[in-house]
Amino acid sequence: MHYLSGKHISRRTMLKGASAAIGLPLLDAMIPAGRLWASTEAGKAADRTRLVCIEQVHGAAGCNDLGASQNLWSPAETGRDFDLSPSSLKPLEPFRKYLTIVSDTDARMADAYAPSEIGGDHFRTSAVFLTQAHPRQTEGSDVEVATSFDQLYVQRFGQDTPIPSLQLSIENVDQAGGCAYGYACVYTDTISWSSPSQPLPMIRDPRAVFEQLFGAGGTPEQRAERLATDRSILDWVMGEMSAVRRQLAPADVHRLDQYAHNIRELEQRIQRTEAQNTSGEERQIPEAPIGVPDSFEEHVKLMFDLQVLAFRSDTTRVFSLKLGRDASPRVYPESGVDTPFHASSHHGGREDRVKRFARINEYHVSMIPYFLEQLQQVSEADGTLLDKTMVMYGSAMADSNLHNHARCPLFLVGGAGGILEGEQHIRARPGTPMANVMLSLLHKLGADDVEKFGNSTGQFAI
Amino acid sequence: MTKYTAALLTAGALSLGLAGSAGQSPYVSSSEVVTASHGTGPVTAGANEVVEQFCTRCHNERSRRGDLVLEGFDVADATNRRPTIEKMIRKLRAGMMPPKGARRPDAEVLATMATELETAMDAIAASDPNPGRRTFQRLNRAEYARAIKDLLGLDVDMGAFLPLDTKSANFDNIADVQMPSATVMEGYLRAAGQISRLALGDPEAEVSSSIYRIPRVASQKERVQGAPIGTRGGLSVAHNFPADGNYVFHIMPYAAVEGEVFGRTFGTEQIEVSIDGARVALLTIDRWMSESEPTGLNIRTDSIYVTAGQKRVSVGFIRQFEGVVDDLIRPIDHTLADGQIGIGLGVTTQQHLQRLTVLGPFDVTGVSDTPARRAVFTCRPTLPEEALPCAREIIERMATRAYRRPALERDIEGLLPFYEQGAADGGFEKGIRTALQAILASPHFIFRLERLPTELDAGGIYGIADADLASRLSFFLWGSPPDDELLKRARAGVLSDPDELERQARRMLADPRAEALATRFGAQWLRLQDLDKIHPDALTYPYFDQTLADAMHRETELFFTNLVQEDRSVLDLLTADYTFVNERLARHYGITGVVGPEFKKVSYPTDHRRGLLGHGSVLTLTSHPDRTSPVLRGKWVLEVLLGAPPPPPPPDIPAFEETAAAEEGRLLTVRERMEEHRANPVCSSCHNVIDPLGLALENFDVTGAWRIRDGGNPVDPVGVMYNGTELANPADLRTALLDIPDVILRTFTENLMAYALGRRVEYYDMPTIRQITREAAAEDYRMSAFVLGVVGSPPFRTAQAGAVDDDEPATNQPQPKRD
Repeated sequence: MHYLSGKHISRRTMLKGASAAIGLPLLDAMIPAGRLWASTEAGKAADRTRLVCIEQVHGAAGCNDLGASQNLWSPAETGRDFDLSPSSLKPLEPFRKYLTIVSDTDARMADAYAPSEIGGDHFRTSAVFLTQAHPRQTEGSDVEVATSFDQLYVQRFGQDTPIPSLQLSIENVDQAGGCAYGYACVYTDTISWSSPSQPLPMIRDPRAVFEQLFGAGGTPEQRAERLATDRSILDWVMGEMSAVRRQLAPADVHRLDQYAHNIRELEQRIQRTEAQNTSGEERQIPEAPIGVPDSFEEHVKLMFDLQVLAFRSDTTRVFSLKLGRDASPRVYPESGVDTPFHASSHHGGREDRVKRFARINEYHVSMIPYFLEQLQQVSEADGTLLDKTMVMYGSAMADSNLHNHARCPLFLVGGAGGILEGEQHIRARPGTPMANVMLSLLHKLGADDVEKFGNSTGQFAI
Repeated sequence: MTKYTAALLTAGALSLGLAGSAGQSPYVSSSEVVTASHGTGPVTAGANEVVEQFCTRCHNERSRRGDLVLEGFDVADATNRRPTIEKMIRKLRAGMMPPKGARRPDAEVLATMATELETAMDAIAASDPNPGRRTFQRLNRAEYARAIKDLLGLDVDMGAFLPLDTKSANFDNIADVQMPSATVMEGYLRAAGQISRLALGDPEAEVSSSIYRIPRVASQKERVQGAPIGTRGGLSVAHNFPADGNYVFHIMPYAAVEGEVFGRTFGTEQIEVSIDGARVALLTIDRWMSESEPTGLNIRTDSIYVTAGQKRVSVGFIRQFEGVVDDLIRPIDHTLADGQIGIGLGVTTQQHLQRLTVLGPFDVTGVSDTPARRAVFTCRPTLPEEALPCAREIIERMATRAYRRPALERDIEGLLPFYEQGAADGGFEKGIRTALQAILASPHFIFRLERLPTELDAGGIYGIADADLASRLSFFLWGSPPDDELLKRARAGVLSDPDELERQARRMLADPRAEALATRFGAQWLRLQDLDKIHPDALTYPYFDQTLADAMHRETELFFTNLVQEDRSVLDLLTADYTFVNERLARHYGITGVVGPEFKKVSYPTDHRRGLLGHGSVLTLTSHPDRTSPVLRGKWVLEVLLGAPPPPPPPDIPAFEETAAAEEGRLLTVRERMEEHRANPVCSSCHNVIDPLGLALENFDVTGAWRIRDGGNPVDPVGVMYNGTELANPADLRTALLDIPDVILRTFTENLMAYALGRRVEYYDMPTIRQITREAAAEDYRMSAFVLGVVGSPPFRTAQAGAVDDDEPATNQPQPKRD
């Protein structure tokens, strides 16, 4: 966990600087393995698959005819003996045993269905990835899409951990003017929806993620005291809100009730954290990260460190992570490509530029092995965290040059608690909705009461 | 015969192909057009006739251009087509419809028709007023930070607590998109905990580190603002020290390529750390240190004892020489945009600070007096029995300020248990701190709840309560909570009196805090934050660095602030022959006589630059890193100034890079490479509108510097605007825009209103906006006329009680298409 413990000041400096500020290497400082919640009897019963859904925008270079013919994303071979060498997925080679590539599924709910929606693909596609539903075109609060894949899982199995799920993002999304072409920014800014009308904001600052996970305070006593104070404040806030309720207009009451609902969720989080803190022995908490690093790689890896940390301490089991924002002008110099991301994605189908775009895709995928390694290094009684985690990585955009949504990139990696065989490349029949894959995954994950997901037309053999 | 009919006749003649030379239309006594207008009177029939004749060729059921059908359009039925009519007015007033190349009536006909449509809309609004409504707002990042500054005198970075504010219609304060979520509430709760500790100081403060970074592309040649004289480079920041104790300052210089400290060839340098202007450390930098050494490039001070509170920490190099460096190779402004330059002898290079880390506190001795503590502890109990009354007093005062209304007995009763809980545990101070934490987490602080009156009249329209009006006013003009004077007026119940409201607004406009109109409203409307996202190519534009970008941003803010302070005409946005520059920016613009980092007002020496369209900020934020973008500049003009955003581009557009960059050994200009936009009909329908606006600014390069050549070829800024006006330079563009002042002034008013109300402007607001603009004409379009117009308008002072009309789940899920 180099990025979290290494941080920006070297450990050496820290040690020299002040004994009180010793930054212990994270994993060593963490809870002794035997005291993990997941290892308690109750924990074992609920040792559900950890789920991480990662979106990268702008599809992939391998998702048009030229890119497909050169296997820039999907390997030529299906089954076990796929060759990743021409593909942007090449960095996953060391983890091929854990890898399931699902090629050629469609996310047609991101298409335009009305004249006014034409051209607005960049501003609705992110909302489609985990919902596979069609976002209503609006600039107001009457947003509507569908409950997302990760949240359907959370609503069934995520209630045992202090925090049901966390949503993280990498890219700064402060676009002047707001969003365009009649779409509210939330469709562009988040991939997780706890209900069709409730988008979940994504956190970009690793420090904020850390404090959400572990609370503020230097010692267990301080943390306990702060949690207790927070709880009593929230309790009082609820009272204040219901007292003011009848003085407000109906729409305001409606919104206040939504806030009240959020506060109840926070109260539950705090209660669970308190319970967790008192159930075992003292939890040692690593030092908090300082803020948002400049470098994409450092930022992503720090976010991965935090996810491993959260899984390890069983603070939450579900993350969604948005690696970029549609129409992003960000340049990734480390990829060896100096054209901005969005401009690169409009490669015009020209071979040299398609290949250049593939290098950016590969650079993004190359972030994943670090995460898998960190997960693999955490051994629990019955396997590593990697065995228990399912990472889903994909995009609801396919060929970003044309803004189309057919033959989208999607892969799964991690042991997923045994529900995935691994080392598989499955090519879907043309026209298969990506929703079918997600429906089947939900069933495999235990959510077999879900009958239909997005525009699913049936199960997908995975 | 009315003027209208005459004009219409002319139009009819034009359409029949009888027109003479442009502008001199012959009068033709054809009665065809007039006879068509029967029944509802000439005026109504006239507009319908124009629509029928000139609009339905594209806007019909079959073509549906712009997703609009105007067949069978009838002004008499205006009530039912208000959104459409407002769109029509906008396009007509901007001269965008009918488009160039299409059959088009005389300009006068269109103007008359627009007036007629406006009159119809204004009449409907007058008989059926709708002030609109929105759900309540919550404090966004900027407002929360300003509220804390107001309440406790602390600068806090809310980015550490709250997720990014969602923007809508340009602004970060639009109520309906401020979606509730557990993450947001957790952010407020965490902020309350941290900020209450910061404010009173935290004797339990744990050691933490704060990092401040300087980008490579910042020039460190000169003194930075806030740093002591005699230093150069480095940084100067307001840092919150949570407790009295020892702090260590880590300093890291930039390294050159091989890991050695950059600038070692210059000699030995010293770096000074100062707190509130007083030197606390002077360190000599070992010029032989290197990243590859075990100790790295870390320099640290000894433990330095600092008392709690917010202090200005400056770290800068001791300035060793003045004057010009006359090397053969000279990095422009000596930034590190290119770290290769200056690592050998013969090039003057100086060291650059990369990062400052403040680490502490160690060995906390307590918390001594700070401005924030003085703001809170207005009394001190000396006897145990004085504690509770003193606590009551503090809580009442803090709650009144935080809640933006008088604290009620029940508020105080609700907060006292937090005091008692804390006091039982850790004494008086902790009691107050806990109560403050509750105040900062209270819905009365973080939400801007507006109370419904107990009785509503039949129309459901009610006046905003005085206390709520005070908040509306102060968040609009100052971006922060009301001051004592405003609260006092609200308490006296006189704020809803229009005269008093105007008096207060005028008082507030004259207050320095009205700079928020520039830094919050103006900056967002003009999209200044996008400047941070453009990094002009370091090799082509080596003189562009962070220092210059910051100066550009500041220029536009100061310019806007000046419009407010001197109450100048809003049209100065286009016409101003003055601006605000510091030495760095003056040099960029070719203006002489400005010395130092402070800004001063100057007049432009040439007429190349006037108003915003000559500001480096606007010109840079609409460029690509390696070339200008007439498309982005044209789009900016359309969206920001004219309020008429172009439709989205179709997918599969050939990338700009596809176009040949050179021809027969000659580099092509940006303009030449964009010819495809005109050649391809799919592109040209929009780009004929967008591109000429931007091309007129081609004499400004990526960084807004004046140029006469592009890639070696003469710049060709000539084009024809969508309404037929020929544009040959920035002045022509300004003149063309000033020919449609109503459009620009209405767009400005719309934005001002959206920001003031915290909601998007809707079609039913347009009559109000027109009225504000009309009335401002009598005031020479002074800034105050618009601001007061908005403040006095029904949407600002009243609201319509309505049922829940948002967040309603409705199903419009299309069925998947199978193909």
